Amino acid sequence: MKKIILSAIIIILFGAAAGYYYAFVYSKNKKFDMENAESIAIDATALVKSFQDNEASANQLYLDKVLLIKGSVGSIAKTQAGENTITLSSEDPFSSVLATLDSTETKATKIGDSLLIKGFCKGFLSDVVITNAIIK
Amino acid sequence: MNKSILKLAFVLALGIFSFSANAQKVYSTKTGQIFFNATGGIEKIAAVNNQTDSKFVEQTGQMIFAVLVKGFKFENQLMEDHFNENYMESSKFPKADFKGYITNIKEINFAKDGTYPVTVDGSLTIHGVSNKVSTTGTMKIEKGLPQIEGAFKIKIKDYGISGMYIGDKIAPDAAITINCKY
Repeated sequence: MKKIILSAIIIILFGAAAGYYYAFVYSKNKKFDMENAESIAIDATALVKSFQDNEASANQLYLDKVLLIKGSVGSIAKTQAGENTITLSSEDPFSSVLATLDSTETKATKIGDSLLIKGFCKGFLSDVVITNAIIK
Repeated sequence: MNKSILKLAFVLALGIFSFSANAQKVYSTKTGQIFFNATGGIEKIAAVNNQTDSKFVEQTGQMIFAVLVKGFKFENQLMEDHFNENYMESSKFPKADFKGYITNIKEINFAKDGTYPVTVDGSLTIHGVSNKVSTTGTMKIEKGLPQIEGAFKIKIKDYGISGMYIGDKIAPDAAITINCKY
């Protein structure tokens, strides 16, 4: 009987430790492998147009998905938090793809460069917003 | 003759309209910050959105803040997933926005550096539910460029958000802090 209770306690403790590790250590430090993630390839103009034409259906297709976007660099800037951003131009001068680069991304670019960027699509405001982006 | 006069009047009206439209000075940012904190217990439940889209009109004080809910970054990925899936239902309601007015915009001298108190009234939409919000904040003018800072609290349940930890690990009131440089 004592053995059963002891085994049960050990199992419970192990489960609790595993749960704690998953929730607070693994999840906190887990880094998404953007480089090797499966992605949907699309060009910047088509992506912007897709959201402008029908945002709900574009959200269904692209929201929170990894996209590989081809386009021309329209601007390079930083967010208030100091993260690097790149916009890929579309045919509409008032709307582009706004990508916030991952902190590990260090490749240099300049305005007018033709680029492939890969990142999470977070939806559409004035621009299609991409985060955790890397330059391919 | 009548047609020519009409055409001329139309062109003039268009000209005046375009002029008045141009005269509206609009400040904007696409990378402002909105912070959210709903810590109810020991564990920190807080996130930041660094892609806040905001605009305001100098003459009228009309303003908008918009964020993509999936753009909120938590320190803990698991917490971020729960926030999106179990509470905010962000696939169904991907955006949150505030539309309103700075009601005392006339008291701000955009030509003079300084920090001006502002009062803001409008409608906040989160999780597909809109509620009236009135709050205060500051507008800092530095070298002609404005920065808006403000903070207010919302009752999570007022926005139709439910979940088992609200009132426990998650505070029933969430603090929203805005910091946008235009």
